This record gives sequence, C-alpha cells and structure tokens, in this order.
Amino acid sequence: MSAPLLELARSRTVLFDGALGTELLARGLPRGTPPEAWNIERPDLVREVHAAYFAAGSDVVSTNSFGGSPIKLAAHGLERRAHELNRAAARLAREAAPAGRFVAGSIGPTGKFLKPQGEYAPEEFAAAFAEQASGLADGGADVLIVETQYDLREALAAVRGARSASDLPVLVTMTFNSFPRGYFTLMGDTVIRAAAELEQAGALAVGANCTLNSEQMVGCVRALREATALPLVAQANAGQPVVAADGRISYSQGLDDYVRFVPGIVAAGAGFIGGCCGTDPSYIRAMARAIRKEHS
Amino acid sequence: MNKAELLKSMREAIVAGDRGAAASLAAEAVRAGLDPAEVVETGYVPGIQRVGELWEQGEYFLPELISSAEAMKSAMAVLEPELRSRRIETRPGGRIVIGTVEGDIHDIGKNLVASMLQAAGYEVFDLGADVKLERFIEEAEKTGARTICLSALLTTTMSNQKRFIGLLREKGLREKYRVLVGGAPASRKWADEIGADGYAENAVAAVKLVKSLEPGGGA
Repeated sequence: MSAPLLELARSRTVLFDGALGTELLARGLPRGTPPEAWNIERPDLVREVHAAYFAAGSDVVSTNSFGGSPIKLAAHGLERRAHELNRAAARLAREAAPAGRFVAGSIGPTGKFLKPQGEYAPEEFAAAFAEQASGLADGGADVLIVETQYDLREALAAVRGARSASDLPVLVTMTFNSFPRGYFTLMGDTVIRAAAELEQAGALAVGANCTLNSEQMVGCVRALREATALPLVAQANAGQPVVAADGRISYSQGLDDYVRFVPGIVAAGAGFIGGCCGTDPSYIRAMARAIRKEHS
Repeated sequence: MNKAELLKSMREAIVAGDRGAAASLAAEAVRAGLDPAEVVETGYVPGIQRVGELWEQGEYFLPELISSAEAMKSAMAVLEPELRSRRIETRPGGRIVIGTVEGDIHDIGKNLVASMLQAAGYEVFDLGADVKLERFIEEAEKTGARTICLSALLTTTMSNQKRFIGLLREKGLREKYRVLVGGAPASRKWADEIGADGYAENAVAAVKLVKSLEPGGGA
C-alpha cells in the first residue's frame, strides 16, 4: 500500500508526539472527565496541544481519542457519541497540522477483558473499534494507531475492526514488560507472536509503547526487529511516575537520560519514534535534535 | 485416591487453573470426611502459592493467574459450608474492603488483587471503581473489616489515597484500620510518604503483604 506516512518512514526516522492526557490536565481538564469530551467542549485547548507538538518537531500527532471506543466511553455514559467524539478528535489534529504533517487516529484498549477472563466476545470488540475507526477516518486521520495493547487478541480485534471500517493504514503498538526471559504483554503474548499475528491481520507497522523506559525500549525494539521486517514504532515512557511531597508528579527518567537512548532505539530498527507517559513537547524537541544529528 | 494423592491433585488443579477438578476434589474430600481446614491449608493454599511464584518468575501471566484464582474460588465454594458447620473461619478476622478510588474507573488490577485475596481465603468486600472515599469507611464499619485496600491507576487520582488517610484521621479512625495502597503510579515510597500501612506492586505481593500484617504474620 502506498501511504505517504509510511513512504516517509522509508526515507528517514519519523517523529510522533509525546503524552497528550497530561498536557490536557495541565490545561485544566477536570479529574474524572474523559479527555475525549474536550474534543467538543474545549477544542481550542486540544488543538493547542497538537500545535505545540508540531512546533516541537512532530511529523505526526496522535488524536485525542485513546479512550474513544464506545466500550470505554460507556464508563462515562458517552458511548452513543463515539462517532462524533472521534471525528472531532481527528478534525482538531488535522486543523493543527501544518502542510505535509500527519494525523494518526489513536485507538486505545477498551479496558475490558475478552472471554474467558471477561465478558466480551472478540466480535463485540471489533464492532466497537470499527465505530471508533469510522469516526477517525471521517475526521480526516491519515493512519490509525492501535496503541498500548496488553492483549494480542484485543489488538487483533482492533485491526480487524479498523480495516472493516476504513482503508486507512493501521499501525499497532503493544505494551510489553521486561522479564529475564524476554518481553511479554500482561497477558503473556511474546514479541514474536504479536508481530507475526499482527502482520498477518494486516498491520502495516508494529511496535511497543508505554511501561518500558527509553533504555529498556532499545532491547525491545531489537527483539521486534528480529521478529518482523515491518516498519517499527517505539514510544517509551520517561521512566516511572514519582510523586513529590507537594503532590506534584514527575517521572524518574529525566529529559537528558531519556534522550540519551533515542539514537539506540533508532539504531535498533525503529522507523517511527515518539514519547509516552512523562514526555512533553520539550522531549519531542530534544528527540528531533537527536534524530537530525543521526541523519547528518 | 488416598489423602496424600488427593492433596497433591488439589495443588495441581490450582496450578493448572482447572476449576472443575478443583471443585470435584473438594467434594471428594468432604465425602471422605477429611478436615476441611487441613484440606485448604495443605492442598489448595500451596497451589495458589506456587501460582504466585510462577507469576513472579514471569512464567505465568494474567490469564493463568485469573484461571487459578477461579479454580480456588470453586474449591472454596464447596468447602466453605463445611468450614462454617464446624465453626471454622477460613481466616479469622480476615475481612478486607477494596476498591478503586473516586475519579478513577480502572479496575483490572484491583479485580485481580480482590480475587487473589479471596483465593487466599479472605472475605473480600469489593466496592468496584470510582468509589467515594467515605464509602470505604462506611463499608469497613459495616462489615467489621480492619483492612482497606485503595487502588489508583492514574497519577491524578492517587492523591485520593493520601486524602483517604487524612479522612480517617479527621474521623479519629486512623488507628482502627490498616490502609494498603496499590496501582501503577503507587510505590513503597509513596505509601510511606502518605502514611499508609503498606504497598504491594502486584496481586501476588498484595496477598503476601496482607498476610505479613496479620497479628503474628511475621511482618
């Protein structure tokens, strides 16, 4: 498939954005309000965060729709507005995007389990993700990114759902934990199995995000590179959250330490890099510098 | 099957997460007139302990942990009437109130901790997610639980764990309850800072923590 964003990744490292939810909280998102609600209520502030990431050097930003599947939105009684909230999410990122930059429609986990651990059947997940994907496509997303997946079966349902609702390329990031035996999701899926099954399901790029810090991400990307020839996506956390005595949150891996491992992540094979929890536009600016140095 | 074989099969049924076998072995023990408390302690509990080890070693993952906890529950459902008729409590005073704090709808980790505690023989009162802080106290007062577990997945809601300790102090109830905290952003350091009684990183560690805090539990 010829998709401009994937074409770009063939010629150079593509930079995603960093954390979105914490940026919205910093702009006053009330506790308990789902971030997606702000796509309608405070579009100016959502657009402002996207613009800050583009200004910092992001080639592509992820839409404010991580929790936008109808199953997840149901926790807030917003399930009937899934299409509207996702379409708005994609539109806002589109409006903030300078010419030649890209919008990735973010699809996060439902927060529920499939049978037998939970109550849901894979088709129910796929239908929910299809509804979300259709909203994101209608709003003008260039690609879809199914992210932070801890259950391969759910990720596969998301890929199926997304592909049933739109022709957009689908990227997938799984969340792996580091164990002595290797990298595993919460459900015990391995890197090899995840990469193989996602590729078979039609994902055009796969990767890892969240939980791992940038140092651990180097090893995880190496394992992914051994597992697949697909383009790889890597979005590491800035370490672990630490709460100061005054209640302020910071992350254990500071900016300099985080960025130190970015060239290693790229060298290990990641064609798309970006940040996850604990990162902000200053991280993306520093990552942009690090990548440019790599290429010069 | 003799008693030793039966106990071994019970352990294996839990490790394998075999709900049917776990329940039918319990029924067999009841028919054979075995002491239900001994069956729990020497048959099933070593099984769930082994599952905990396998989880910590990265051999078992969430699906296995849930299956084993379910198998444990199915065995306990058979054995509890027996224990009750003999006036044996599975864990004297082992009542626990648990929930995810207000503003936070994440319940996967909390559910897992609740089922592992149940599997370990505790009577668990699960209030669900997005629970008002006052509700934890009401429930503990009502049920006579002395341990309250607060989960928070978000850095933005974990401050409610701190607020809860303050609320207990205001009501003059701080000494009455053990408050344990967990969730992705929580840590031992956080627990110390807010004056909680303990922190556990995962469901297996939570069971160990609760046990260690029991009177004579070796804390």
